[in-house]
This record gives sequence, structure tokens and C-alpha cells, in this order.
Amino acid sequence: MHYRIGVDIGGTFTDFALAGPPPTPLGTHKRLTTSEDPAEAVVAGVAELLGDRRVPIAEVGAIVHGTTLVTNAVITRRGARTGMLVTAGFRDILEIGTELRYDQFDLTQQFPEPLVPRMDRIEIAERIYFDGRVEQAPDLGEVRAALGSLQERGVEAVAVCLLHAYANPAHEQAIVALATAEYPGLHISASADVLAEMREYHRWTTTTVNAYTQPMVDRYLGRLERGLADLGFRGRLYVMTSNGGMVTPAVARRYPVRLIESGPAAGVLIAAHQAGAMSLPDVLSYDMGGTTAKGAIVRDARPLRTYGIEVARLHEFKKGSGLPLRIPAIDLIEIGAGGGSIAWVDARGVIRVGPESAGADPGPACYGRGGRRATLTDANLALGYLDPASFLGGKMALDRVAAEAALTTDVARPLGVSLVRAAAGIHAVVNEDVARAFRIHAAEQGVDYRRCSMVAFGGSGPIHAAAVARRLRIPQVVFPLGAGVMSAMGLLIAPLSFATARSRLVPLDQVTAEVLEGTFAPLEHQAALPLADAGIPAERIRINRMLDLRYRGQSHVIEVTLPEDLRGAALASALPALFAERYAAVFARSLLEESLEVVTWKVEAVHRDVPFLTLAATAAAAAPATHLVRRPAYAAAGDGLIEYPVYSRASLSRGEVITGPALVEEAESTCVLGPGDVGRIDATRNLIVTIAVRAVS
Amino acid sequence: MRDHAEIPDPVALGILWDRLISITDEAVSALLRASFSTVVTDGYDLSVILLDVEGNAIAQGTQSIPSFTGSAPATLRHMLRRFPPERLAPGDVLCTNDPWLGTGHLYDISVMRPIFRRGRIVAYSMSITHLPDVGGFGYGTGATEIYQEGLRLPVVKLVDAGRPSELLLDLFRANTRVPEQVVGDVLSNVTCNQVCGRQLLEFMDDYGLDDLRALSLGIRAASERAVRDRIRALQPGRYAETLQVEGIDDPITLACAATVAEDRIAVDFSGTSGCVAGGINVPFTFTMSYALYALKCLIEPAIPNNSGATAPFAFTAPEGCILNALPPSATAIRNVVGWLVVPLLFRALAPARPMWIQADSGMNSALSFRGRNRSGRTVTTLYLSSGGLGASDVGDGAPTRSTPANVATIPIEVWEALTGVTVEGKRLLTDSGGPGKCRGGLGQDITLRNDSTHPYVLDVLGFRTDFPARGLADGQPGRLRETHINGRLIPPKGRHILEPGDRLRRLEAGGGGFGEAAERPLEAVLADVRQGYVSVAGARRDYSVEVDLASGTARRS
Repeated sequence: MHYRIGVDIGGTFTDFALAGPPPTPLGTHKRLTTSEDPAEAVVAGVAELLGDRRVPIAEVGAIVHGTTLVTNAVITRRGARTGMLVTAGFRDILEIGTELRYDQFDLTQQFPEPLVPRMDRIEIAERIYFDGRVEQAPDLGEVRAALGSLQERGVEAVAVCLLHAYANPAHEQAIVALATAEYPGLHISASADVLAEMREYHRWTTTTVNAYTQPMVDRYLGRLERGLADLGFRGRLYVMTSNGGMVTPAVARRYPVRLIESGPAAGVLIAAHQAGAMSLPDVLSYDMGGTTAKGAIVRDARPLRTYGIEVARLHEFKKGSGLPLRIPAIDLIEIGAGGGSIAWVDARGVIRVGPESAGADPGPACYGRGGRRATLTDANLALGYLDPASFLGGKMALDRVAAEAALTTDVARPLGVSLVRAAAGIHAVVNEDVARAFRIHAAEQGVDYRRCSMVAFGGSGPIHAAAVARRLRIPQVVFPLGAGVMSAMGLLIAPLSFATARSRLVPLDQVTAEVLEGTFAPLEHQAALPLADAGIPAERIRINRMLDLRYRGQSHVIEVTLPEDLRGAALASALPALFAERYAAVFARSLLEESLEVVTWKVEAVHRDVPFLTLAATAAAAAPATHLVRRPAYAAAGDGLIEYPVYSRASLSRGEVITGPALVEEAESTCVLGPGDVGRIDATRNLIVTIAVRAVS
Repeated sequence: MRDHAEIPDPVALGILWDRLISITDEAVSALLRASFSTVVTDGYDLSVILLDVEGNAIAQGTQSIPSFTGSAPATLRHMLRRFPPERLAPGDVLCTNDPWLGTGHLYDISVMRPIFRRGRIVAYSMSITHLPDVGGFGYGTGATEIYQEGLRLPVVKLVDAGRPSELLLDLFRANTRVPEQVVGDVLSNVTCNQVCGRQLLEFMDDYGLDDLRALSLGIRAASERAVRDRIRALQPGRYAETLQVEGIDDPITLACAATVAEDRIAVDFSGTSGCVAGGINVPFTFTMSYALYALKCLIEPAIPNNSGATAPFAFTAPEGCILNALPPSATAIRNVVGWLVVPLLFRALAPARPMWIQADSGMNSALSFRGRNRSGRTVTTLYLSSGGLGASDVGDGAPTRSTPANVATIPIEVWEALTGVTVEGKRLLTDSGGPGKCRGGLGQDITLRNDSTHPYVLDVLGFRTDFPARGLADGQPGRLRETHINGRLIPPKGRHILEPGDRLRRLEAGGGGFGEAAERPLEAVLADVRQGYVSVAGARRDYSVEVDLASGTARRS
């Protein structure tokens, strides 16, 4: 049972990664996703991956699985018919929402329909106050009638959403108990169980997504478990969640909403792994593929987290046009720019790239599959960063003439500039877009990006990373090997973990040792339970505790991570100082004389033993590296194309040094080193590039 | 090093321009996170603007309320008249909250910092936020003169070469109800402009720019050209329109005449009623900001705000009319009149456009609460809620969306914990959407009960109580807004006491309908009745449709 497999289901491909006991090299595999039943490709791919390497399935101890199933079900509205039981007076909250428009100027904007239509939302007369006091208990006869009526209409799943359930979940629990006993055919999700946070619209929307996807996730995991068992798999199956931890199938069935965005989260784990291995304090994880770029900040080898994400946006890059969810998640920024992003001239007469994408089909003009519009990949080809002959390891020839024709028609001619200037402009606009997103995200988190390192991957990330880093004044970029299957590799190092949170407003001067430990104790129990159920002994479970604090009256909260070794009275008295330290880091200004309060209490239980991952080490070689060929590529404004040496990533060994300008090619991507950048290969075959300081162009 | 005189080519222009906007966005984000005022954090009642040495606006934070469109150059001119550039030193920060120097009421503070590079000013950074309190009468319409409305600061030096003025901070503390929060917000503005300046200098280093003149010229020229091109697509002519809005005693008439001539538009507000003795008068800067916002929606939303984008427009209004109020008019709640400039211009210019535009919206409204919660803590806050959006030819209006300012409602769970005021219900209001081929968005029905055990001082700040959101193209108006205390209908504006146990009910206005109700497809009427957006009786009355829910059928009678 020494092997582990990571399986990441994406929109087009299902990626596989296999890790074995040292010195087994990492194995990878790719297969087309079977969208009708994704379990099919997983089972078939696992068999192929193992067959190719002659590893018996009995030797596989764990399969970790990341899937876009839940996200897609919400986007395409293919979940279960879902009903809702809701506090009397509030059945329209799902529709009323935040009352914001997501676009200040679009007069005809549409808003997402709630997952539960109005007629399937049934009001229950009951009421709890903000402090947990009960005004009116629910009449179980009324609840019974409502559930019966929903079941009669063909409803499969029910979201139980009561006001202030985070403060007192008794009414929701009573309804769940009744439903479980009397309506075993219904899937039930209760809002305080899904996440006990204040703010009814967000909590309830999250609960409806959970209910909506529960029946299908249940069926899907059933098929997957049977399929893998039929192959002879006797190890444990785990499912990746949005916060970069994995859970057992039982937990995934109970909280399917937590599986949203788990693929990109897994990629960030590799950046975190590199940060840990290289002792880098702050890292920007930069993942750029065909349609989007995703960024995350890693601090002390841990990706920064958030509790707020959005799913199924009507306009992919308009915040607020989707369903807002509250789940523990890696804090990912999404940028509407990838290789397939279409370049255009906007109303101002300047270049824009994305968010519209040519996707994989028809794809960029250079794919020769009928795409006519200029994309980022076309620009990168025209600039010489991509080789028409060796793209995807030579499996796909790129049409340079088609790329140049599209660039000329769409950008160069309308702007009256040369082809190279247009292509360089497209490339630079994307660098700026990515740099801007990182700048704002870092500022929000109180992180000085100039002191970060960057870890770059994805099909397009390595082409742009050095240029983005230069704009951010980042001194160093790490290019791990295997840029195209990072998510599957990330799954191999995901720890078993579960996070939970509860809102409870307490003025800081009333947070005594008793309040502190009394509030955290049940949360710690709840967070650790799924790990204990998976057989992890208590001493191998690390408990991370966080508090959201704010000045009374302010709406923005500051998350403070509590030191592991501090508890009880000592912790209570240290809280003001901990807040002050974080506040100063985020706002760079002195404190006010306003009183503080705790808003949300958060706990994360993590398995202390991070699974092994052997990144192949190689023997040292003589430096500097030698290159095979040269080709003309773009360096800086005015220079036109100059000769770049081209290196094959596969042939580079530890200790070799590459001085930019240079191109380092691997199967799914190319690392571009600008003039003056210096790269070297480390012991685990990372390419580590020191970025030259000079004006950007 | 770039030649100063050289305007960047289109490739460089786009990159440099977007970077400037991103600098203001980053400054906005700093402001948002540090602000106490919930109108700032939930309503984006803020802005950050970069201006060049000549005082032209060149970039503005993307997230900002329409109230601050195009107003910064005038504010900067007033500031530099008082403190000329040659008297400014690095680390100086100026501010004012004068309605006629800034943005139209005392609540908004404009804070400006000159950005020095190598000993000379290369740009000005300005931020504007809505303060939680300014003392005086409080957030309501009851003052009859500006002097009653609170602390009014002319242009003053808030920070002198890096040293904040203790005198001014003490003035804020002594004159406001929540002193620490007000001082916190004033200092947030100082920090935000510092961030903006630092980022600008870094940007200039990155690109080897010595000054911003050529870039500013490029940005403004491209913006102006794009807007003028779009104006040419309109049908030239003179378009006049009027509407009525509830005043303090009598209804107020707003009038405009928009003249579209080739590549420019001139809007004159002659015919508008005079000022009133209440805090709803509108200084002209606010009128212009909302007029610019309306024109931007209609003409070219994609062009970022700057002095070039606003150059093709000219605005005039007779002095002393309510859209060009002069001192000492009271102006605290100028928005309940000034916002109506948006539907006024939408309607006026509808015939000039190739496509119809949105019918009137229910718009949003506020209830101002001052009192104490169950634990005795002082509460000064707003309850914001929205009516429905107007329908358009592309579809039904959305329910309960905030417009023209884009302000989030406070979650019920947060509100109850903050105030001790219980929300008994918050539902969509059946039959409130204006009937039409496309139906207006629904308003809502909200009931609040004072469970705080203390009385609350309540300022009602409403409109659309006598004059509904009108339909377009034969669409019908939406339902009116109403406010009741303990079952008694109260006037749209005014101050009341909400005693413990008292109930306040607010019905939010529906949006106007688009097109003839008779043309609405039967299945759309049936679906509306099924979901309860329209009642069986409403379908009969407004659409002449008989719906039988039991059999699931509908037919026109």
C-alpha cells in the first residue's frame, strides 16, 4: 500500500499523478474527461496509469480526487429539485439578495435565479433572536406537512434555513431530526451545519447549493467507489475540498458545497510545498492556463484562506453576478486572461485581452481549427516564445502565418502599429493585468509583494512569470517541473483536514478564558471528528484556531491566527496585541481608541503528517548549461526580435545555469527568461530564476 | 527616459492608463477596509481620483459612487486657490467638507495630497468619503439652513509636512457623535492618498516617466474622441423633459432640455423649482455628477472617468433652483432630489437613441436610526432598502435592486444584533411591479419592530410616495413607496420617535413596466402568478388575464 494517486477532473482533461516510495519517480497521465459520467474516465485512467508502470492496484493505499462536478452542476443547473424550509417572513431573501447591482452602468443586467424557485420555499412559523433567545418554537406538525408537500412535488433535497441558527441551531436540528426519521428519502442540509456564520443571504445560498448537489454527489461517489473496487482497489478514497485539504467520501456527501473550486486549490499546494522546501516566507502562486489565470498568496508555506467565494457567475469576471458562498477555501484570485484569451481594441482605442476566450475549440488562430481571432497564444507565437514545431511536445503544429494574420487584422492594423509591436502589446497587457491583480490582492492581505517569491505553472504561466515578477519587483521565480499537471500533483500532498466556523459577537473585553475555550471546544470537536472517523489518532491532529476581530462599528474584519501554544487566560490577555500586530500589517497605521469585538470563531483540524512526495532528484552536472538551438524572440521595445538560446527542460540537470535571454521548453509550457535573468536548476529539478532589475517595457 | 512631449503610442497608452486606474483601485481598496462609515463600506460612498499638475482628472477608482463623477477637478481648483501649489510642501494634505467646494453635503470629506517627485508636484491624489457623522441636526431633512447641519470646514491643511493637525482632529472629535469613528475615517483618507502617491511614484520609476503631461494628454484625448464618436450616433435635436418629486411640503418639478449637436451635448435645467426650507437642496456639483452618470450609462459606459470623457458635456442651471442650490441652503439629504436627474435624463434622451431605454426604477431609500441597542450602546446607522428596477425591452426589471447609487442592504442578522430592532418580515411585494409587456421589478414589504428597550429617533428619507416609477412605451407605473408607523401612514420625509414595541412598515416602490400589458405572453403572466409575483386578481386587473392555478391555465378575457 505504498502508492498514492492524485486525480484531477478538469473540463477537458482528467489528469493523473502517481507517487510511490522513494526513489520511484513521479508518474503522470492524461485522459479526456467523460462529462456524462466523470467516474468512467477516473476508473479507466487509474487502470492505465498503473498498467503502464506495472504497479498492482493492491499496492495503492490512497486515491485523492479533485472534481469540478459540483461547480458544473450549479453552472448548468443540473442538480436535484430542491425545496427550502425558511423562517416565516423571509422566503424571499434568496431573491432579494444584497440588493446590489454588479454592474454600475449596464441598465439591462440580469441576475442569477435562486436554485430553489419561490413556490418550493415554504415558510415555517418560528423565531430565534440574535442572542439565541427563542421567541417561537416551530410546530412540528407544520414542518411535517411542509416536508410532505415538498416530497409530493418531486423535491429530492431540502435546505433548512432559519434566522440566527448560527446563534442557536436547536430549531434547525429539530427539523432535521424529524426529516431524517420520517422522510428518509429526502437529502437534508441545515444552514448552521453547513457553516454557522452570520449573514442569512450568504449562509442560506450556501445551504441551497449544498442541498442541490447532495443527491448527485452521493450517486457519483457511489459509482466511483464501485468502479475502483471492481479494479481491486482496497485503499482509501479521499475527495479534495476548496481549502486545500481532503476529506472522506462520507464528509463529501454531507458537505458537497465544499468541493467547489478544488482543482485550482490543489495547484496552490505545490506552490506551498515549494515554499516549504525552499524556506521561502512569502510566495505568490501564479497558475495560468488556457482561459484564466489564478493567483494565491502563500505565507509560511500555508496558502492564505478565505470564507467567501462565488460560483456560477452570469458574467465570468463580474464579481457579484453569481451565487455567493461561504465555505472555507484557498483565497484564489481569478484573472480573465489565459492562452486562449482574445485580444481586441476597445472603445478607447487601446489593447485589451480577454475575458472572452477562444477556449480549446476553435482555440487560437494558430491552432488551425477555425479560430480567426487573435489570442494571447498567437501573440506569444509571433514573439517567438512558443515554437510552432514543439508545442505540446510536438503533438500539435502551430500555424504562425494564421497567427500573424489574426494579429494584423485584429490589433496591428486598427492601431496603426507593426505586427511585433501589437504582439508585444498583447503580451504586456496580460503581464500588467496579472501584476495588477496580485498588487491589489496582496495589499488587501497586508503582504508586501516586493518581498515575495513567485511559483509559476500552468500552460501559459511560465511564459509570463518573469515579466510579471519584474513588474512587481519580485526578485525570484520558481518554475517547478511538470507545469501542466500541477493540480494532480497537488492532490498527492493534500493533508486530511476539515474546517469550521461560527459567528458569535463578543466584545473583546468580555473574552475570558472560559468564553474563549468554551466557544472553541465544540468547534474543535466538530472539526476533528471527520479526521478521527478516518482513523487519525488525536495526537496527529493539529488544531489551528483563528478569530475574526474588528473595531465595533466597522464592517471589515481582521483575521488573527492564534498561536498553537497559547490557550486560556494567557491567550485571552494576548488578544489585543495579536490584533494590533495584524492591524498594523494590513493598514500601516496606528490603532484607534475604539473597542474591539470578536465576530467569527474559526477552527481547522489538519492531519499533521503531510503525505510524501518525491520530486525526482538528479545528479549534479557541469554548469553552465548547453543549448541545442537558437531562435529569434522578442526582448524589449525597439530591439525587434533577437536570438534566444533554446534549452530543453528535460535535459537540464542540477546545478546548470542559464543566463537570459533564454527559452526553456518542456512538453506543456515554455519558461521565458528575459535579458539579464539568471536561472539555475536545483536538486529537485526546479528552475529557479533570479529576476534582473531594469525598467519594464 | 521618455521624451516628455511624446504622447505614448496606442500600445503603451493602454498599459500606462490601466496602471493608473489600478493605482486608484488599490487606494480605494485601502479606504474600504479601514472605514467605519457603513455607507462607505457597504455603499461604496467613496472615490479616489488622480489629477495631473494642471488639475485634469486622469484616473478614478473603478468602484465609486456616481455622486463623485467629474467633481474632483473643481474641488482641486478651490483647494489650490486657497493654497497655491508653490505654497505646498511634500507631506501636506488639504481637506474640505464644504458642500459648494466639495460634493454637495457636509458628510462628504474631500482629502487631497500633492504628489512630489524630485522636488516638484507631478500629480494630485484626492479621496472622498462619506463620514459617519458631522454633528448638527443629524442625518435627516429637517434643517432649514446649512448652519444647522453640522461642522463645515473650508479648505484647511489637515496635515502639515507630515504632521497631522491636532487642532482639526480635536474639532472633529468635539463636533461629532461618534468621534473616534470620524477621526478614524479622516485618517483613512490620509493613508489612502499616501498609498496612491507611493504607487504613482513607483509607476513613474518603472516606466522612466519624469512627468505625466503627455500621458494625461493621451488619456484625455482618447477618452474625449471615443465619447464624441458615440454622441454622433445619436439623433441630433433638443429633448425636453420634466418630472415631479415629493418635496418638504409641495411637489418639486425638475426640468431639463438636452441639446444633442453633432458631437456634444448641452443640458440645461431651466424650469426647475426653487430651493426649499429643508435639507434636500442640491448643490450643482451633485446635479452634474448624476447627469454625467446618466449620460455615461446611455452613451459610453466603457470609457473610464477622466476630464476628457466629460469634456463633450456642458451643464447649466439657474442659480437658486433646487438643482443649483446656493448657500445657506440645507443640503444633507440632497440625494432624494438629485438622484431623480438620472430618470429625467434617461427619459429625455430616449428618443435620441436607436434603442429604447429602461423604464423608471423604484430606486432606493434610507431610514436613519439614532438611539441605543439592548446593551445601551449608542447606535447611529441607516437602514437601506431598494425598490424594483424598471423593465426594458430586453426583459423584466429585477426585484429590489439599488439604483442609482449602488448600496447593499444590511443583513437582517447583522442589523438585529447591531440595533436590537427586530425585522418581522422582508418579502417581495406582490403586484408592485409596473404592468407591461415586460414587467417592472418588484418592490418589497419590510416590517421592523423596536425591541431595543430604548426609543429610536427615526428620520424618514423617502420619495416615490406620490410620484411612481413611470413606465415606458405604454408600460404602466410601479407601485408607490409607503411608510407606516403602527399602522399609520406617515409623510415621505420627516423625523419621528420609534418607541419600544413600535412597528415601522415600509413598502418599497416597484419599477415601471415596458410596453403594453396586453402584449405580455400568457405563459409569462401564468408563471408570475404561480410564483406569486402577480396575484390572480392582479393578473385580471392589470393584464386582463384569467388564471386558474388549480388547472394551471391562463386565458385573456
